[in-house]
Amino acid sequence: MSPFFKGKKQAAPNQSQPVDPMPGSITSNLQDNLSLVKQKFGNSPDIIIRELKIGSSKAKAAVIYVQGLVDNQLLNDFLIESLMQYQSSSQNETKPEMLDNIYDLVIPMGGVKKQTEWSKLLESLLVGATLIFIDGTDKAFTVASTQGGEGRSISEPTTQNVIRGSKEAFTENISTNISMVRRIIRTPDLWVESMKIGTQTNTNVSIMYLNNIVDHDVVQEVKKRLKKIKIDSILESGYIEQLIEDQPASPFPQIYHTEKPDVIAGNLLEGRVAIFVNGTPFVLLVPVVFIQFFQTPDDYYFRFDIATFTRFLRIFIFFISLIGPAVYIAATTFHQEMIPTQLVLIIAAQRETVPFPAVIEALIMELAFEVLREAGLRLPKAIGSTVSIVGGLVIGQAAVQAGIVSPPMVIVVAITAIASFATPSFAVAISVRLLRFIFMGLAAAFGFYGIIIGLIMMTVHLCSLRSFGVPYMAPLGPFRPVENGDTLIRAPWWATKKRPSLFSSNNVKREAENQMPAPPQPRTIKSESTEKGNQNES
Amino acid sequence: MSRKRTFLFGILASLSVFTSGCWSERQLTDIAMVAAVAIDRNEEGQYEASYQFFNPGNIAGGLQGGGGGQSPPVAVYTATGDTIMEVHGNMSRKISREPYYSHTNLVVISEELAKKEGIAPVLEAFDRGSQFRVTTSVVIAHGVKAKDLVTTLAALDKVPSQKIMQTLESTEKALGENIDIDLEEVINALVSPGREPMISGFTVKGDPKAGTKQESLQATEMPSPIVADGNAVFKNGKLVGWIEGTDARSVLWVMDRLQSTTITTAWAGQKDALSYRVVRQKTNVSADMKNGKPHISVHIHMEGDIGEVTVPINLKDPKTLEKIEKDIGKQVKKEIETSIRHTKKRKADIFGFGEVFHRAEPKEWKKVEKKWEDEIFPHLAVDVSVETFIRRTGLRNNSYLSEMKNGKE
Repeated sequence: MSPFFKGKKQAAPNQSQPVDPMPGSITSNLQDNLSLVKQKFGNSPDIIIRELKIGSSKAKAAVIYVQGLVDNQLLNDFLIESLMQYQSSSQNETKPEMLDNIYDLVIPMGGVKKQTEWSKLLESLLVGATLIFIDGTDKAFTVASTQGGEGRSISEPTTQNVIRGSKEAFTENISTNISMVRRIIRTPDLWVESMKIGTQTNTNVSIMYLNNIVDHDVVQEVKKRLKKIKIDSILESGYIEQLIEDQPASPFPQIYHTEKPDVIAGNLLEGRVAIFVNGTPFVLLVPVVFIQFFQTPDDYYFRFDIATFTRFLRIFIFFISLIGPAVYIAATTFHQEMIPTQLVLIIAAQRETVPFPAVIEALIMELAFEVLREAGLRLPKAIGSTVSIVGGLVIGQAAVQAGIVSPPMVIVVAITAIASFATPSFAVAISVRLLRFIFMGLAAAFGFYGIIIGLIMMTVHLCSLRSFGVPYMAPLGPFRPVENGDTLIRAPWWATKKRPSLFSSNNVKREAENQMPAPPQPRTIKSESTEKGNQNES
Repeated sequence: MSRKRTFLFGILASLSVFTSGCWSERQLTDIAMVAAVAIDRNEEGQYEASYQFFNPGNIAGGLQGGGGGQSPPVAVYTATGDTIMEVHGNMSRKISREPYYSHTNLVVISEELAKKEGIAPVLEAFDRGSQFRVTTSVVIAHGVKAKDLVTTLAALDKVPSQKIMQTLESTEKALGENIDIDLEEVINALVSPGREPMISGFTVKGDPKAGTKQESLQATEMPSPIVADGNAVFKNGKLVGWIEGTDARSVLWVMDRLQSTTITTAWAGQKDALSYRVVRQKTNVSADMKNGKPHISVHIHMEGDIGEVTVPINLKDPKTLEKIEKDIGKQVKKEIETSIRHTKKRKADIFGFGEVFHRAEPKEWKKVEKKWEDEIFPHLAVDVSVETFIRRTGLRNNSYLSEMKNGKE
């Protein structure tokens, strides 16, 4: 241990000073190298430096790693033990020879590299590699395969539950995540490119695409936008999303995110580009179209008829959650003639005691609901149920009984809430949440006229959006009839002959002709029943 | 520049929302929904309109403590004026809320008003107003004040106007002796020179005052029920008389409005021996010139079931069925001819023969247009032919009455 303290003492005068500029490459003096490392990390105790003597010449060497980032067992059993047991082949082995021998004969691991540059060495040290310095040589080893340490294991997705299909979700570890997709798409055409973003966090960001399907202009654009990012930290893929999206002022999401490897795989096969960010299970997908936010993985696993039905249902849900309260406000304050007589009488009777105009009533209820939702979201699970009881009782029951809000309004808010939860994409659900209030305002001021104006403006906005060069409303916006097989309807797999040409213009063939299943012709009838009949007779 | 422009646009857009001040906004609690309008004439010759307002709290009842029971589901306010708009204005002196006509489904006009002044001037305001629906049903108060029809409560339907409207609808469908005619149809008939309107009449049986109290609903039998009672015949917008029963049914038949009805006919010398239920029918009316005079032919094709036999008839025999078909056809033909004869006397073409003739012979029509009702229609030659078909005889072929008779013998 003493060399540590020595080193520390030597390094101490520089400690409080601004750190010296890093020398370009390592020196052949081990002590110099070690003190530089210590100085660089400010003697952080989790940087472990294990000094040892190897070979018959008892050459001084050091193993450096970051505690917690390495697999301890692997490190101790294979790396350090092998080094200690190393016997030189000849007595007068030179240091460079020793270096080669160690590389060739001693370290029983992959991912070993000789490095001389400090920047590369420190970089690999920080992602969990182990460094081996040997006195008298100006090269060091980086052993990348000692990476390890604690991480969350693969578990079920929390935001995208499916009834049918893979139940695994991404983890926080980028290499695990990439491997999960590799396990699904086993082709050398699955290409991954890595980069580091964040001047402080040096976060690993990888883009993944299928080289033979993807539109390479999009890949270039993704790389260009990622390289443009100059920020101190990337803590989640949301940072990337907000820094590379096309229209930051739009309330609509222009980048899809998912935590399911099969969703990524399916989209890569349509020619999209995935962006993996270390430290988050949410992987980004570009380019996206609006209709994609209404698709779920189940759609492709279930039969096409029910999938199509649920697609329509989701569009319907989208409109309910968008203009549900707005329609109620407009109908009850401007267009009473549009409500059936019996219904308008019921609503009128319930509103008799309500002291507020419909729009205020609606705003109160919607805000109360938003408050409840926010409260329920942040609370520990144990208290969460209390919130729902208090919220349900106070808002639902007492407010109606007190005559502050009318029961139809509660119904409208409840339906809207359920509808917004039923939207498959949370990203769209939250943008609808904001737009709902705008529509309520328009409905209160102009009635249905306002709602229609709002819807027209929204449609115009949606049609003007682009996601990495792809029109957001495609293939509905620029209407391409042939490509509508996976939009409002989900065509059966045997009819989905082509990929969307928006993303994979050079390679759109998806399946062979005549994929529609049919019984064999002519049908053979099993003669089982007649045989049975004969037996009975005998 | 563009940022500034966006900002300005945002300001202007939000100004348009906030400064318009919710133009034409109407809270449900600020309006009084009119269920029915009844128009009488008072001694001074003014309109005396009674508005039946919904009282939502007493109709919906439900949640807030039972509701119903205590107070009537509607409230009636009466105001007078020289025009309908004046009535509307005067009404505001009596009622706290703004009358709202979009849910009005009934207009009642008193017989007296329809006779003396005609219905045309009354309906103009309703036709013009944006709230009033042209699909509103129109009825004439037969023998009572129009007001009585909106003040009398009904048992099954909470809202009396609803009761009248639905009675009208169902009786037209089941019996075919009343016509459910709406505002637009009335106005079209008034305007057309080749047609006169026929409007259903309603009356209150018994003391009209007795039915206005909520207590009257406590009884199983209403003391003064509202019933459909004949159809008013108009000429030049004025009521000239009433027709009812098979005469009225014949009119609907010729107008091709009949949906189903029951025809009772004799068999083997016995009266009312057999009921035939019409389930569908199609009437074609065509016109041409015959011997230089307008000529109308009415062809009816009907289909139906045997609904009831009161004497033993062998319904298994196709010949019997054929004979029944013929008998019924003859009877219907007679009914329609009688009805046309009666109507001719009134010189009011409620059948719309003039319109048919107009369509068939536009040039000839120009010549007779002016004198159609008074000179041509009363002497119009009308051929009626009826084709009957028995589709089914119900669940049974021969009645058990046949077996009873056989057993006795």
